[in-house]
Amino acid sequence: MSTRLYFICVICVGLLLTGCAGTQSRNTDPENDPWEGYNRKVYAFNEGMDKVVRPVAVGYDRIMPDPLQTGVGNFFRNLDAPITFINQVLQGKLKQGGTTAGRFLLNSTLGLLGFIDVASKMGISYYNEDLGQTLAVWGYEDSRYMMLPFLGPSTFRDGPARIVDNYYSPVGSVIGGNVRWGLFLVRGIDTRARYLDQDAELEQAYDPYVLMRDVWLQNRQYQIYDGDPPLQDYDLYLEDFDEEPDTGAGNTP
Amino acid sequence: MMFRGLLLAFACLISQGLFAQTQADEPVALVETITGHIFAKVSENLEEYKAEPGKLEALVRDELLPLLDIKYSARLILGRAGRGLAPEKVDEFATVMSNLLVSRYSSGLLEFSSKVDIRVLPQRGELNEKITRVRTRVTIADGREAPVDYAFRKTPDGWKAFDVIIEGISYVTTYRNQIMPEVQASGIDSVIERIGSGQLEIAE
Repeated sequence: MSTRLYFICVICVGLLLTGCAGTQSRNTDPENDPWEGYNRKVYAFNEGMDKVVRPVAVGYDRIMPDPLQTGVGNFFRNLDAPITFINQVLQGKLKQGGTTAGRFLLNSTLGLLGFIDVASKMGISYYNEDLGQTLAVWGYEDSRYMMLPFLGPSTFRDGPARIVDNYYSPVGSVIGGNVRWGLFLVRGIDTRARYLDQDAELEQAYDPYVLMRDVWLQNRQYQIYDGDPPLQDYDLYLEDFDEEPDTGAGNTP
Repeated sequence: MMFRGLLLAFACLISQGLFAQTQADEPVALVETITGHIFAKVSENLEEYKAEPGKLEALVRDELLPLLDIKYSARLILGRAGRGLAPEKVDEFATVMSNLLVSRYSSGLLEFSSKVDIRVLPQRGELNEKITRVRTRVTIADGREAPVDYAFRKTPDGWKAFDVIIEGISYVTTYRNQIMPEVQASGIDSVIERIGSGQLEIAE
């Protein structure tokens, strides 16, 4: 995507939203989401956009036969391989980087530009890395949640990192002009179509914003730790429960 | 000499027997037995269960529930919203939550169109006196695997699972952040009623 254009959009949306009256002051997770008020506005903005995007995604989902849709997914996943490779190297995961390089070569050739995931069929592992994860591994572990216009959930660390990743992805660096825009558009619709199943669940939640945030942040943690994040601190949850309020009943000294 | 050999063999036998016994109670073995059984049944009777999901729910309830510490999960989910609640209310809440879990687990199993398979990974680290995690990999479409982990704790009745973590997303944490504020806002009864009537189904 044209980075400059995206930045302009983000700034415009930001200005638009900060102009909105009626700031919500509730804060459901001050530690991970101190910008909740702003984020909720961007969330609402994205929901508005979704009124247009969703019908397109539904149409796409209906027209596309499932194998073809899988192929499109494989194609985009393969295009991300160079991003994964570079970040594996940056994180010192050289052996896994080799696997990713091999996977990319195989799928781009035998797999017909990545539409067929021959590597997975041969049992070659799939990894997913990006600059946000690299920064986390390098020590920038905790970053505040940040809802991006159009793009959805992210963090203060991952949002800009994503833009840097785009510079050296094949879509951003090799393919140019209208093809790039076309690819960007199809990818957006394809990605949205993949989340259609979860729409009903999100709608039924008590607080869809919080659900999306919690699911995204937990899954992000899972990616950063390559599928093996530490367990939650459950004792902390329990302390919340056990701490009986002092009723004072029958307790007079 | 022969006596010593015999003694040694006997000692080996005993220690092996003891070893086997402790192993059978350990979380990894528990998950292996129970999920293995459920998955085998699903692979066998997929069509039947698709026609009558109630049958699968009954199976999951009978097999999985004894493994779970639903009251502990309920307390974790309620957090500070559970302070000062009558124990019966917490139990009632635990029951509706476990019904929800059973129904979601069952419908998740039915989403696999063909053969389902599960791999339980060996115990790695973290096995301490109190808490541990069992990692499993569930085979989904085209050879890809979804990681499903179970968090266990040691209770007087042995090891019990109290959280399910799918692709890093914890059942307890996710429900907690939805339910805790809602209990505080509209009360436990309204939440129990809403979950019981199947209106609250949170994605995982």
